[in-house]
Amino acid sequence: MRAYGHAFVFVLSLGVFLVILWLVRRRKIRERFAILWLLIAFLLLTASSIGYPYLFKIAGLVGVPYFPSALFFLAIAGLTLLVIELFAWVSKLNDRTRVLTQELAILRERVEREQSGEEQKGTNVS
Amino acid sequence: MQLDSKESATGALSSASSPFSREPRVLVIVPAYSEALSLPALIQQLTAQYPFYDIAVIDDGSSDDTAQTVRRTRARLISLPCNLGIGGAVQTGFRIARDEGYDIAVQVDGDGQHPPDQVHIIVSALLQSGSDITIGSRFLTETGYRSTVLRRMGIRFFSGWLSLICGARITDATSGFRACSNRAIRLFADHYAEDYPEVEAVIVAHGAGLRVSEVPVRMSARLAGTSSIGALRSVGYFVKVSLSILMQSIRQARRP
Repeated sequence: MRAYGHAFVFVLSLGVFLVILWLVRRRKIRERFAILWLLIAFLLLTASSIGYPYLFKIAGLVGVPYFPSALFFLAIAGLTLLVIELFAWVSKLNDRTRVLTQELAILRERVEREQSGEEQKGTNVS
Repeated sequence: MQLDSKESATGALSSASSPFSREPRVLVIVPAYSEALSLPALIQQLTAQYPFYDIAVIDDGSSDDTAQTVRRTRARLISLPCNLGIGGAVQTGFRIARDEGYDIAVQVDGDGQHPPDQVHIIVSALLQSGSDITIGSRFLTETGYRSTVLRRMGIRFFSGWLSLICGARITDATSGFRACSNRAIRLFADHYAEDYPEVEAVIVAHGAGLRVSEVPVRMSARLAGTSSIGALRSVGYFVKVSLSILMQSIRQARRP
């Protein structure tokens, strides 16, 4: 039973790792996020292969009697980090789009004014 | 000295304590979201009463023909390609005021809540007090403003809180009817909250060392349309503004 679960986690981590690599290669995700994801996939990969026996020891040392919950905790902590990172990123993007929207509107008005000014050249321009 | 007489002839603004050797350049910022019904009358009154002020209507991605309506008037029309909310719209006005070197910016909401004949009260109060922001207050004196009990309690709550933070008496923290000096313009052009920005703006200004004052004004009921703050949204308003005040207190101060 345990061996099956072990292999399953290993294959899954390997899959995640390869998908991230593929996305980076295709330039679908920025390095910024790729590094975090690769780190998580790499940790899972080690944990499910050579690091497997050590996890029991570490879990025992930290005081977690049930080993899988330690793994869950690690996974949730990693995902939380990612979400926080995304929040910061979205806020930054939001600020940027706001400034761009404003500048676009200002420039468009300026162009419109200059064009109508040229049309009225010679006549009454205030 | 000929210039002096010319200046006083141009009207309302000249005052003995004015820091300007010339007539200050004033930009009226009118944020508008689908206000095609009330805008024509508002702009017409503003241009008639203040021929020397420039008016910039910020169309915040309206779905009605706000833009067409404004094009028929003397006011400048700045059309945001997508809706940014009241804060983003007003900030667009501050950016224009900053880029074009205006001395004073006055915010007048497009819904007709802010009577044009009160604008000069705020502007001259700003000049006379020498402060950077002058808020038009409904509660400084009895101005006949009517509202629901809850809303007034909310405004009083935020005003009290703001007074504590700023160490000055503020009675109408949520009023958007205000005038800003060039220093405040430069600050707000870069730092202005997105939604429900009024209260936060005062804290940001205070943190930057700007002086805030108030002057009593009369406000009218809306001419058309509905308030952006409905019943359920009032709760959201309360929570958002409270949180933003708390967050402002742990943020670093901004400088203009």
